[in-house]
Amino acid sequence: MVSHSRGASLGRSAGRLNAPRPALVESGPGGAPRVVNRELVTLVREEWRVVDRWWTEDPVDRRYFEVVLEGGRNVCVYRDREVGCWFTQNA
Amino acid sequence: MVACLLIPGFELRAALRVRPRLALVPAALAPQPGEEPLLGPVTAGAEEAGVKPGMRLGEALATCPSLALVDRDPASVEREWEGVLCRLEDAGFAVDPAEQGVVYFETRGVERLYGGVGPALERALAAVGSGWDPRVGAAGRRFTALAAASVARPGQIVLVQDQEERDFLEPLPLSLLPLPPDRYAELEGLGLRRLGELAQLPGHVVAERLGVEGRKAWRLAQAGRKARVRGRKPAFELAEAIAFPDAVANELTLRRALGSLLERLLARPERAGRPYRKLALAARLVDGGSWRRTVTLRDATTELHRLRAALGPKLSELPAPVLELRLEAVELAEHTGQQLALVEPAGEEAAGRLREGLRQVRASTGTGSVCAVVEVAPWSRIPEARALVVPRDD
Repeated sequence: MVSHSRGASLGRSAGRLNAPRPALVESGPGGAPRVVNRELVTLVREEWRVVDRWWTEDPVDRRYFEVVLEGGRNVCVYRDREVGCWFTQNA
Repeated sequence: MVACLLIPGFELRAALRVRPRLALVPAALAPQPGEEPLLGPVTAGAEEAGVKPGMRLGEALATCPSLALVDRDPASVEREWEGVLCRLEDAGFAVDPAEQGVVYFETRGVERLYGGVGPALERALAAVGSGWDPRVGAAGRRFTALAAASVARPGQIVLVQDQEERDFLEPLPLSLLPLPPDRYAELEGLGLRRLGELAQLPGHVVAERLGVEGRKAWRLAQAGRKARVRGRKPAFELAEAIAFPDAVANELTLRRALGSLLERLLARPERAGRPYRKLALAARLVDGGSWRRTVTLRDATTELHRLRAALGPKLSELPAPVLELRLEAVELAEHTGQQLALVEPAGEEAAGRLREGLRQVRASTGTGSVCAVVEVAPWSRIPEARALVVPRDD
């Protein structure tokens, strides 16, 4: 059967690049991550906060941590203080 | 309303059309060659004997030693499914096939023609034919329609009104969700067995525990989003076939047959001068099975020697002697000719190659598969707000 190649493009829309992915994080005292996705954190390299869009209905309040995991991987995680969940993201 | 017409175990049913006797005995679709030995759909007789779809072959044969294995027949499955879709289109339904055995359509356009939703859906069942045991579910959303069709009996229509959606989905099993098998086990381990139990959990908790798949499943458990069903543009058949009086395994003979098929296909007036972008070579095998390979061409062409060079090597992959060889046009290019420049400007060659490469990717994976990154707010402190991925189909 000869299909019409244009038909499949309908309904496709733009997507976000670098969208946050949910992460499984255990935090220690002070709120810094201790375990990220079942891997132990050996070093917290940096920490910063992003508070933005507080004037909108979709405010952003995140506490970012750049950590080094036991396996040597550098990972950036943040705790979304609006929804109370952890996410990973390339900052 | 969105309707979903479901034919469970379509692949097995299509393969049994030529061996109807096997439908009455314990039989199952054989595992894919070269893959994990897991059974496909099974007949009612096999289910009665304790054999389930997805069971390991060894376990199934130990459970039911008389189990008959039905060879996969991809060419006839494809043909039968296209037949089902064409019959629905002939009855006036704009169909959107999700997979073989599952098709969606809107009833809105044909309700007045047939005098309501019920009669329209009865017409759809009649168009498919009772031999396939089709069942229909209809609701405001796709997932609810699929769930309704999954619980319906053969030939039955289940209608779910908007206000009843939540109550309808609540007691249904989680197996209706499109999740990998290990996820079901994880959910069962957490004590969740019904869609209602998953839907009651807070969305962010599900996302945190199960990731993106879990979030999607949770949204579906809440009936999913309302989206329109867009019917496909009806396809037309462009194929040529040669039947052999005796089974042929000789590659030289097969190559000659392929050459003849190509010449016949190139002479077809329906292509209106457009070159071939994607072709499928199919064969009916001597043991009753079938074989099919699809080839996407780097450049859409009508040159006989290039088509022969692209398709010829596929003949060596044939697993058994052939009773019938068939060549199908899957996709035609949009253009009818190519204007060449006498002297190309600097950089034009690289850009042209890139364009052609992207066109080939689109041809083999479908439109929308090539995307561009567009910076929208590179200064933003929120990483995901800096850029968007936008499909590029130009």
